[in-house]
Amino acid sequence: MVYNKDLRIKIAEMVHRSHEGHIPSSFSIVDIIEVLYREVLRYRPQEPKWEDRDFFILSKGHGCGAFYAVLHKFGFLTDEDIAKYSTAEGRLGGHPDTTKVPGAEASTGSLGHGFPTALGVALGLRIKRKDNRVFALLGDGECHEGTVWESAHVAANRRLGNLCAIVDWNGSAAQLMPTDDLPSKWRAFGWDAFEVDGHDVVALSKLLKSLSFSADGTPKAIIAHTVKGKGVSFVEGHGKWHHRIPTDEEMTAIVEELS
Amino acid sequence: MMKKLRQEFADTMLEVGPLDQRLVVLVGDISHGILQPFAKECPDRYYNIGICEPTIVNMAAGLNKVGLIPVVHTIAPFITERAYEQIKLDFGYQQLDLNLVSIGGAFDYAQLGCSHHCYADVSLLCHFKRSAVTIPGSPVEFNVLFKHLYNKHLINYFRLVEQPHEVEFAPNDVHFGKAIKVRDGRDATIVVVGTQLRNARSAADALAAKGIEVEILYYHTIKPFDEEALRASAAKTKNVICVEELSAHDGVFNLCMRACLGMSDLKLRQMAITDFVYGYGSYEELCERVGLSPQHIVDQVSSVVG
Repeated sequence: MVYNKDLRIKIAEMVHRSHEGHIPSSFSIVDIIEVLYREVLRYRPQEPKWEDRDFFILSKGHGCGAFYAVLHKFGFLTDEDIAKYSTAEGRLGGHPDTTKVPGAEASTGSLGHGFPTALGVALGLRIKRKDNRVFALLGDGECHEGTVWESAHVAANRRLGNLCAIVDWNGSAAQLMPTDDLPSKWRAFGWDAFEVDGHDVVALSKLLKSLSFSADGTPKAIIAHTVKGKGVSFVEGHGKWHHRIPTDEEMTAIVEELS
Repeated sequence: MMKKLRQEFADTMLEVGPLDQRLVVLVGDISHGILQPFAKECPDRYYNIGICEPTIVNMAAGLNKVGLIPVVHTIAPFITERAYEQIKLDFGYQQLDLNLVSIGGAFDYAQLGCSHHCYADVSLLCHFKRSAVTIPGSPVEFNVLFKHLYNKHLINYFRLVEQPHEVEFAPNDVHFGKAIKVRDGRDATIVVVGTQLRNARSAADALAAKGIEVEILYYHTIKPFDEEALRASAAKTKNVICVEELSAHDGVFNLCMRACLGMSDLKLRQMAITDFVYGYGSYEELCERVGLSPQHIVDQVSSVVG
């Protein structure tokens, strides 16, 4: 079953219109982000820096098409923002810029930065005796980066129970490094690790809402089984669609499959 | 014997930390012992994170995102060259605030070899529009400069020298962005940074015995560079010799040349580091090997003054 077909169409339209974007990477994570904003995170869209908000950091910044579509759905972004995606007049680009995008907590793009930033935010919130929660969404390819594991090591040893890493396990990483048992790796680093179907919004919601967060506890890793390009048959999988711009005919076919 | 800069760093944290609840110190398993008074006084605001410098710097960005003021401290090459992308993206691109305090710049860790040497840290940090870059060579300089800069919403870099230059400045002598004239002279201007002030003063004494009077301008602040002080001195002496434990490619000499643009009849000479400083020995022995000893300065000044 494919959820969030409307968001997927919006993502494809943004990329088709602007000739920039990563459709498969966005389709891989759009269900996760939608559930977070619909059912889990505390936020005020008209007050993005509200001090009691939960933090969501998209560490795999190239999946920002999904992030923008969700931020638009929940009131952070306007129709004009979406229309001007990846243009000189707009504030949304091929990777999110925190100095421009309301709701984007970090400027990401170079992989392995957003997650350590989330670690620092989580530590800072604990220092300030705040109970905000921190979520970071990482790619499985991003987990090749050393800073991911440095941060995992630090978070577990500092017992940052207010931190949750969600890994988009769509198999990109295994193309290059087939030894890729992510749940075992996160557990070996001292995290509580959970596996879930990253496209089943019911299961995602149930798992995310069941987690208990605390200032002093074990950080949590959700390893989400996902499909790159999920929802459109000819976009799914690895290969040429990673950074491909659909032709007019392909765009029509994408919309037809999702309608 | 002057107090070590690293001890002054610990003392300054202990002075500022209780007054500003936003100050948080992260270290990469260095200076842990001397920072214990700060850790006891500010128990939730001191973290010896571990051996993972890029992550430590990146974490500091997260701390600043929730309103805290991070201070990150470890050995110069690891905190700057190794973690440069974190400084660039997490603080430069995101317009966040950082205080980097390094020890062991240049070849200060003379006996540890090239893995612990660092010549490009200062120029790397100068690349950011929002950066302030300093080389405090004595305790009072660090204390004054840190208290002036740490909460100014900048990317601050403090390169602490391992050996103080032993010149006692008063707090009122130290002003961010201003050079200090250590010696008056008419024949040549020596621009000098860090511990090299020692060698410059020794050279000046030797040159005076030969009838050559040099003016010494000491720069604790590299960015912004005090161009006015150099132009005034260079207009008088017509000879400028820059002595620096930095890369010859993009060190203080470049700043001197920029400061002197448009001035005529000047002779400018650079004494800097041109390659890895291979081998081991004392700091003084490596100064000799790399051409930054008092005698080398005497020779260089003599060659331009004639």
